[in-house]
Amino acid sequence: MFRLLFARRGDWAAFTVACVLSLTLMSLGRAQQERAVWFIQHTVLAPANVVVGWVDAGVGVYWENQKLKKRLAQIQIEADEMRTDRVENARLRRLLSLSQENPSDLTAARVTARSLDRLGGSLTIDKGEKDGVLPNRAVITPEGLVGRVERATAHEARVLTLLHRDCAVAVRVGRSRVDGVLQWEFGERPVLSLLYVSSQEDVKQGDWVLTSGLGGIFPEGVRVGTVVQVGIAENGLMKEVSVKPAVDFRSLEEVLVYMPAGSGRGPRMPSLEATAPDSAAYGNPAAAAPQRAPAPGGPEKKAERAEPPERASQARASGDSAQSGVAQ
Amino acid sequence: MKNLRDAVVLFVVLILQSTMAQRIAIAGVKPDLLVAFVVYFAWMRGPIPGVTAGFTVGLLQDLDAPGPLGLNAFAKTVVAFMVAKAGFRVHRSNVGVRFFFFLLAMLVHDVIYFGVYTAGELSALVRQFVFVAIPSALYTTVLVLLLLATVERFSKTLLLTDEV
Repeated sequence: MFRLLFARRGDWAAFTVACVLSLTLMSLGRAQQERAVWFIQHTVLAPANVVVGWVDAGVGVYWENQKLKKRLAQIQIEADEMRTDRVENARLRRLLSLSQENPSDLTAARVTARSLDRLGGSLTIDKGEKDGVLPNRAVITPEGLVGRVERATAHEARVLTLLHRDCAVAVRVGRSRVDGVLQWEFGERPVLSLLYVSSQEDVKQGDWVLTSGLGGIFPEGVRVGTVVQVGIAENGLMKEVSVKPAVDFRSLEEVLVYMPAGSGRGPRMPSLEATAPDSAAYGNPAAAAPQRAPAPGGPEKKAERAEPPERASQARASGDSAQSGVAQ
Repeated sequence: MKNLRDAVVLFVVLILQSTMAQRIAIAGVKPDLLVAFVVYFAWMRGPIPGVTAGFTVGLLQDLDAPGPLGLNAFAKTVVAFMVAKAGFRVHRSNVGVRFFFFLLAMLVHDVIYFGVYTAGELSALVRQFVFVAIPSALYTTVLVLLLLATVERFSKTLLLTDEV
């Protein structure tokens, strides 16, 4: 009977047997099922379990390795971002400390655009008239003078840097108190020149150049740059003085806009002057021009007071003329 | 020779199912490569080898399954038998036919499995069917068809050949 069944309907017979076996297993009690499972797992399938364990471990290591590599890449990115934040943080702290020294005088602004030309003659900042940033406000950084606001809209302003020919600045050589006007000259060799310096004046390579405060736009005593070259003009009457700006205009990201209190001749910038390398030299009467007598009341004021009246008026006149030309 | 190859394939599928299935799950949906193997095997070899393979593979799976012992064996036996009977003289090389057979077989398998597992409770069965069975069947079908296509392309031989 079975032989006949399997011969003719072998497929149905196999199916029936398998179903009956399955259903029998399912109908077993829980304890019996567990015993059966334990027996099969620990006898028949023991070698297979070992192989599966090896493969699983190998695959696990591979996947874990991939996951760790991914995590490492993420951490690397986070570390890079933290490094960038740290640099920015340090820069902002310096700005903040400067701002806190003169809380009512300075407004921090972020540089949002630069001029398209390679010389970098202008910048755009994210503060405008709504923030009190008006044309002819001085723009500085902890390193020194950047330039002045040329025009402002409600929420942004265009800043002419020292590397723009329309941004002339009345300056003074820190050591010898020689006044002049600093202006960008675009000739065969673009350079920041200190103009109106007589050939008799005492200007040397390495001298710091600071704003003189004349003209009413730039506060007095802000570092502008360093004298890098001194020569005599062809006519023999004037000196040709080249100045290297203190500010690196290519890497500017945040600036401070100076808000004069009202007179236009703002307060001095002690933090900047104090950090100038030759501040002691130009403030020290012994190190300054020998013809000037020491005077009480602070190192810089001493030198100013020691100036001959005609020389001071001459310097102011030259500075005023330059500033008035700029401020138009 | 053919039996040895089938044993090797089964062994590889068992290892893949126990090691890789969890890792290639998409949104919790795991492929069931063992059902796919049973369908493939029954389709190619016919009812008796298919039923034998279905019962054996199901029993192996039952050893590690939360359900009652024999449930997977029963479901796979039924599926193997149905596929072997219904898959006779169809165009196995056709992608559409392959998709239909694999998908339907896996859905039938899951209806049997979850039907017994949920003890006939209809709402639980529908929930399992919609949220587990259909996504898993679709995922497995697509995966298996891709695997078959890849192997056939590189070996330049049809693994699921038409009846001659």
